[in-house]
Amino acid sequence: MSRLLKMPPQIVRLVLLTIGIVCVYFTARFFLTPPSFGLHGHYRFDALRQIASREPYWAGKAACVECHAGHAEKLAKGEHKTLSCETCHGPGRAHVENPAEKLPKLNMSLCLRCHEASPSRPQWLHQINVHNHYTGNVCTECHVPHQPNEVP
Amino acid sequence: MSENFTRRAVLKNLAGIVGGILAMPAARTCKAGVQNVLASSSAPAGYDPFQHKWLMALDVDRCIGCGLCVEACREENDVPEGHWRTWIERYVIKKPEAGSGKTRGETIVDSPDGGQKGFPESLVPREQILKSFFVPKLCNLCEHSPCTQVCPVGATFDAPDGAVLVDKNYCIGCGFCIQACPYGCRFLNPITHTADKCTLCYHRITRGLKPACVEICPSQARIFGDLKHPVADDPLQRFIANKVEELKPSLGTGPRVAYAGLDEEVR
Repeated sequence: MSRLLKMPPQIVRLVLLTIGIVCVYFTARFFLTPPSFGLHGHYRFDALRQIASREPYWAGKAACVECHAGHAEKLAKGEHKTLSCETCHGPGRAHVENPAEKLPKLNMSLCLRCHEASPSRPQWLHQINVHNHYTGNVCTECHVPHQPNEVP
Repeated sequence: MSENFTRRAVLKNLAGIVGGILAMPAARTCKAGVQNVLASSSAPAGYDPFQHKWLMALDVDRCIGCGLCVEACREENDVPEGHWRTWIERYVIKKPEAGSGKTRGETIVDSPDGGQKGFPESLVPREQILKSFFVPKLCNLCEHSPCTQVCPVGATFDAPDGAVLVDKNYCIGCGFCIQACPYGCRFLNPITHTADKCTLCYHRITRGLKPACVEICPSQARIFGDLKHPVADDPLQRFIANKVEELKPSLGTGPRVAYAGLDEEVR
């Protein structure tokens, strides 16, 4: 101790300043590092919960089936069984929360989005060329969307 | 030196140590208080990331290029226009030129608007097309992810359940991860100025829902499931029982996105 005090004062000040800065750094790190950082790796584990806290936008088929079980049963028998309700009907979250809120009506362009003929589309898919397939107005005149392999 | 070891000095030091130990719980409480102010969340309870291992499977032969998945992802995750967390590529392989002695011609890849509004007629005339197909792309959820290795601040990481996520609070927007990703799956979000990417719809899968793209896909080109909890007649188990491939296997990234029916031209 006495030897340290015998050191030139500028050196003593420098040493004290360095110790001070290091102390401030460790104190700040102690308070500011989140407790979950480094828990399971070099990241903040709480970020998982934060990312998961977002609200879902699409309701999911299970939510539709809760009320529309009849439609779901019908759908399961047809070619469109792999489709989710929201694939065609659009986001249904608002409707799930408040059934009075109706979903928009669908139009023909939606059918064509999948069924218009294209050389890039796989062979198993039913494809049509709009210009020589039918000159009428709506697909639903001949096709039932929930059971496409049936005649209305 | 010996004059330092007086009774008084030793007692003083001991009192200091005891005082320091007693002060620790107080400091901890104080610390927890500070951190509660800094971060709070309303995550779904009861989800343990160690109990799951997610896998995404993509069947190229099932993709019809409708682009509904791209649209669904954008709406689900507020992906800004001009950026994509998932997109569809159209591969058009031309017939070989007559007399060239080759099995196939040039390969043309396009993805207008990420395939979000479907695909217009290809610029290659039909009679010149040898083969054409769609390839859906998204984050490959690498087991040894190059993007997490380069992050200087620990903002992006491999979650224990297989998702590769970005901690927005920690990301400084340096863009190293965007350059490191060999699949081009990351972008700098122009609104938050942080790295952005597919989260596997983490807020959905933690609630027992499917990711938005999987939910909306009409042809089951996208199959998603948990390897640790196979369900009855699991489509994922059926999928991986057959031959599956990965993108850029030579890089050793170990993607957790399995493809079926990949053409050799797909990069």
